[in-house]
Amino acid sequence: MTATTPRVALQTPKAPAMAREMVGARLWRQVALYALLVALSLVYIYPFLVQVATSFKTEAEAASNAISLIPRTFTTAAYERLFVFSDFPLWARNSIIVTLIVTAGRVFFDSLAGYALSRLHFRGRGVVFALLIAVMAVPAVVLLIPKFLVIRQFGIYNTFFGMTLPLLVDAAGVFIMKNFFESIPVSVEEQARIDGAGAFRTFWSVVLPMARPALITIIILSFQGSWNELSHFIVSASDPDLVTLTKGVAQLASGQLGQGTQYPLKLAAALIMTIPVALLFFAFQRQIMSVTEGAVKE
Amino acid sequence: MKRQTRRRFEVLALLLVSALVLAACGSGSGDGNGDGGDGDLTSSDDPLTILIGSSGDAETNAVQEAVAAWSEQSGVEATVQVASDLNQELSQGFASGEPPDLFYLSPDALVGYAANGSVKAYGDLLENKDDFYEALVDNFTVDGEFYCAPKDFSTLALVINDAMWSDAGLTEDDYPTTWDELADVAAKLTTDGRVGLAFGAEWQRIGVFMAQAGGALVEDGVAVANSDANVTALEYVKEHLNDGTFAYAADIDAGWGGDAFGKQVAAMVIEGNWMNGFMQNDHPDIEYTVVELPAGPSGKGTLQYTNCWGMATDSPNQQAALDLVEYLTTADQMLAFAEAFGPMPAVKSAADAWREANPEMAAFLAGAEYAQWQPVVAEIGSVIGDFNSQLGSLKDGDPKALLDTVQANLEAILTE
Amino acid sequence: MSDRTGFLARRAGSSGIRRGEAAAGWLFTTPVVVIVGLFLFIPVLMALWVSFSDWGGRGSPLSGRVNFVGLDNYTAILLDGGLPTRDFGTAIRNNFWYVILVVPLQTALSLLLAVLVNNAVLRGRGFFRTAFYFPSVTSSVAITVLWLFLFTGSGVVNQVLSWVGIHGPNWFNDPSGIVHGLLGNLGVETGPEFLTSRAFLGVSFWDWLAGPSMAMTAYILMAVFTTSGTFMLLFLAGLQNVGHDVQEAAMIDGATSWQRFWKVTFPLLRPTLFTVLTLGLIGTWQVFDQIYAGTAGDPGKTTLTPAFLSYQRAFVQQGWGQGAAMAFILFVIILVFTGFQRWVLRERTPKPKGRLAEAKAGTP
Repeated sequence: MTATTPRVALQTPKAPAMAREMVGARLWRQVALYALLVALSLVYIYPFLVQVATSFKTEAEAASNAISLIPRTFTTAAYERLFVFSDFPLWARNSIIVTLIVTAGRVFFDSLAGYALSRLHFRGRGVVFALLIAVMAVPAVVLLIPKFLVIRQFGIYNTFFGMTLPLLVDAAGVFIMKNFFESIPVSVEEQARIDGAGAFRTFWSVVLPMARPALITIIILSFQGSWNELSHFIVSASDPDLVTLTKGVAQLASGQLGQGTQYPLKLAAALIMTIPVALLFFAFQRQIMSVTEGAVKE
Repeated sequence: MKRQTRRRFEVLALLLVSALVLAACGSGSGDGNGDGGDGDLTSSDDPLTILIGSSGDAETNAVQEAVAAWSEQSGVEATVQVASDLNQELSQGFASGEPPDLFYLSPDALVGYAANGSVKAYGDLLENKDDFYEALVDNFTVDGEFYCAPKDFSTLALVINDAMWSDAGLTEDDYPTTWDELADVAAKLTTDGRVGLAFGAEWQRIGVFMAQAGGALVEDGVAVANSDANVTALEYVKEHLNDGTFAYAADIDAGWGGDAFGKQVAAMVIEGNWMNGFMQNDHPDIEYTVVELPAGPSGKGTLQYTNCWGMATDSPNQQAALDLVEYLTTADQMLAFAEAFGPMPAVKSAADAWREANPEMAAFLAGAEYAQWQPVVAEIGSVIGDFNSQLGSLKDGDPKALLDTVQANLEAILTE
Repeated sequence: MSDRTGFLARRAGSSGIRRGEAAAGWLFTTPVVVIVGLFLFIPVLMALWVSFSDWGGRGSPLSGRVNFVGLDNYTAILLDGGLPTRDFGTAIRNNFWYVILVVPLQTALSLLLAVLVNNAVLRGRGFFRTAFYFPSVTSSVAITVLWLFLFTGSGVVNQVLSWVGIHGPNWFNDPSGIVHGLLGNLGVETGPEFLTSRAFLGVSFWDWLAGPSMAMTAYILMAVFTTSGTFMLLFLAGLQNVGHDVQEAAMIDGATSWQRFWKVTFPLLRPTLFTVLTLGLIGTWQVFDQIYAGTAGDPGKTTLTPAFLSYQRAFVQQGWGQGAAMAFILFVIILVFTGFQRWVLRERTPKPKGRLAEAKAGTP
C-alpha cells in the first residue's frame, strides 16, 4: 500500500536529486502499483465476464464449471426461455415506459423548480426550499408502507400513473439544477427580460439551453435511478402486466418451488437488464467521470 | 422574520390539510362491502381473476385449461395469473381493495385473512360440500365456519432414485420401514458428491420425524413443541446430518428437495406428490419409486398439505366464482389435475379412480390415514418460520433449547 | 437565497419587469411541491397513524372501523420480548454489523482506488477508473443475482479460495456468525453466563456479538464492491481540489509520499470524507433490494434487516401497524447515526495555515 505514488513520481528537476539506487526502488514500486491495479480491476471485472459466460452454459455446467469463461457446450437456451417462454419482454417494455416517463418528468420539473428557486423572487421560496431539505432527509425505505397507503387511497394502485407519478420529482435533482443556475451570470436573462419575455420564455429558450451539462447529469441520474428502481414498483403495483425488469428478475432470483436454481437463466436476465445502463454509462462516460457530485447510488 | 416564518408554516399546514381532505374523499371506492360472514354472494358481469402459486408449467397449463373450459361453458371471462409471491400479492390485493376473485389459499394464511374479513366464507354454499374429506374441511374451518373448498391435497413420502438404489446393491426388500433401516440405506447410498437423503431445512419436512416419534406442535389446543418425542426426532436428524448421510437441500446447492433429487445430488428425498409433475417436466429420464416413510419409535407419521380456493370478500362477482369452484372441484376435474401435475383429489368420490390410475403413487394416499397437519392458529406462520430459521443450524444446535423457543412462541400465540 | 438574486430583484423591483414573478415562482415550483406533498408528507402522516392503529390491511386505514391502539405496536416490537421483538432485535443486530463493516471498508477502499488512479503518469488510467466504477451503475437486483451465483457452495469464490487451500463456506446458506466462528476456533463455543443470560431487544448479548453471518458477509462484500466506484469518484474530485502545489511544497521539504498523504492531502479531504461517510451511513441502514431479491432473511434470519422486516411484517404478514412502527424506528436510528457521525467529524478549531506547518514539523 505504501506503493501509492500520487502524481509525484515525475522526475521533475525541482525534486531533490535522487541517488542511483533509488531508481531501482522506484521501478519496483511502479511494477507493484500496476500489479495491484491489474489485480483489483480483475476482481471488479471478472464477475461480469463470468456472468456473460454462464448465461451461455447449460445448467449442469453452470454448477460444475462455474469459474470458466468458455462454455463447454454453448447454448442459448436461457435466452430462448427468457424471450419466448416468459414475460421477460413484457417486463422490459414496462421498464422502458417507466424510465422514459420518469426521466422526462424529472428533467422538466427539476429544472423548472431549480430555476425558480435560484432566480425567481417569490414569497414562500424559503418554505419550499426547507421542504426539499426535509425530503432529502427521509430515507426511501421508510416510505415503502406510507407510499403504498397513499397510492391505494388515491385509487392509482396498479396503474402506470401510480408507478411513475411519485418518482417524477427528486429533491437531489432540484438541488443540482438550482446550483447550476446560480453559476450562470444573471446578465444573460436580464436582456431577455428587458426585451419583454415572460418568465417561462426566458427559462425555456434562454436559460435551459445553457444548462446542458446539468441536464445531462439529471438524465443520467434519472435514467439509472428509475431503471434500477425496485421497492417503489413492489408497493405501487401487483398486477403481473405491470411488472418491471427489476421486480421480475428479483422474483425470479428469489425463486419458487419447482424452479430449481436456473443460474444461466437468472444471469442472462440480469445481464440483459444491465445493458441499457451500461450503454448509458459508456455513452456519457466522460461526463460521469467528471460530474461526481450527486452521482451517488445507494 | 418570526412572523413571516409562522405564516409560512400556516401555508404549509393549509396545504397538507387540504390534501388530506382530498385523500379522505378519494377513498370511497372499495370500502363499503359487507364482511365475510353472511351468505349473500355478489353478482355482476365482471370477469374473474384467478391467482395461483404454481409448482411449474404443468400446473399452470392445467389450471389455465380448466378455467378456459369453464369460461366457454359459462360465458364468464376469466384469467389465470401466476403469483411469484402469493402471500405478498394477496395481501397487497386485499389492502388495495382490488383482490383477485379466486386464489390458492393455505390454512395458515386463511386464519389471518378470516380475522380481517378479507376472505368470504362460502363453504356451506357448495353443492358438493359433503364430498370433501373431513380432515381437509377441518383445515379450512375457522371459528366453526367452513370458509373455502379444498382444491387438492398431498402427504409426504419417501422418493427414491431407482438407479442409485440398485447400484448400491439394494432391492425392493430393502425399502426402509424403521429409522434404523433408513439410516442404514442412507449410509449405503451416500457417495462422494451425493447424500443418501435430502430435505429442506424446515418443519414442513422434518416434522415427519417428529410425528413418527409421537410428537406434534399443538395437541388439543395446547402447545407441546418441546416434548421428549420431538427432542428424540431432532436428535435423530441431527446425528445423520452430522455423519453426512442426510443433508439439507440448501447445503448441497439445491433450491429444495426435488431440485436435489433432479440434480442427482441426493438419492432419496422427502417430498409430496408434486414431485410427479416436477419430474415429468424437468427430469423425465430419472426413474424413481415412492414408498411410505419409515415408522419411528411411535409408529408411522407424515404431514399433510392442502390449499383451498379462497374467495375475496371484495370480489364483485362471487356467484360466478362459486360456480367456477364447483366446476374445479368435481371428481373428474380433480382427476384431470392429478394426472397433469400430481396432487391427490380432495373429494372422496375420486379416491378409487385415482388409486387405480396411480398405483405407483399409492404411498401418498396411504399416508393420509395417519398424517398430521399444521395447526390452524393465527400467526402460526411466523412461529414456524422462526422454527425453520433455527433448524438451519440444527447441526451444531441443541434440539431441546431450540424446541423450548418454539414452545414459548406457540404459547404466546395460543393465549392471544 | 443568493446575493445575486436579491440584487436582481432589487434592481428589477421598480421597473415592472418583475411583475408576475411571484406567480411564476409558485407555478414553477408547484409540481415539485404537490408531488412531494402528496407522496411524501401525506404518506408519512398516514403511516404514522397506521403505526398507532390496529389496521389489519383491508379497506381504508382512515375508516371508522380502525381503532387507535396507542403505543401497542411500538411496545410489541421493542419491549414485549416475544417473537416480534426478537425478530426486530435480530434485524437491528444484522444491520448494525453490516453498517460498521461496510462503511469503513468502502470508505477505505474507495480512497485507495482514488489515490491509485489519480496518478497523472499512470498508463490506462481511464480503463482502471471505468473498471472500478462499472459495478456502481448496475442495479442492485442484477448484482444480487450475480452474487448469489458467485457465492454458491461450489461457486467461483470458493474455487478461488480453494487455490490457496481455504475450504470456503456455503456462503448464502451459512448462518454462523464470523465473530462466533473466530471465538470457536479459539475454543470458546458458548458464551459466558453474563452475556447469554442478559438480552436486549429479545436477543442475548452473546448473540449480539455473533458478528455478521457468512450470508451477511457476502452481502457486505457486495456492498463494498458496488459502492466503492461511486465513492472513488467523490474522492477523485476531492483530490483534484487539493491541487499539486501543496503536495509539491511538502515534497520539497523532503516528506515521503506516505507522510505527504497523511499529513497534507488527507486532512484536506475532510469535506469529501464527511460526504462519503454520511452517504454511507444513510445507505447502509436501508438494505432492502438485495434481501428481497436474494435471501429474504435466510439463513436463520441472519440477513433480516429492519427495512425488509418492516416490509415483510406489513405486506406479507398483514401486521401493518408493526411494520409502520418499524419504519419510524429505523428513521430515528438513521438520524441518530448521522447526527453522531457529524458530531465526531465536526470541525475542531480550524488552523488554516497550520497544516503545512504541521507537515513540516512532522519531518525531521
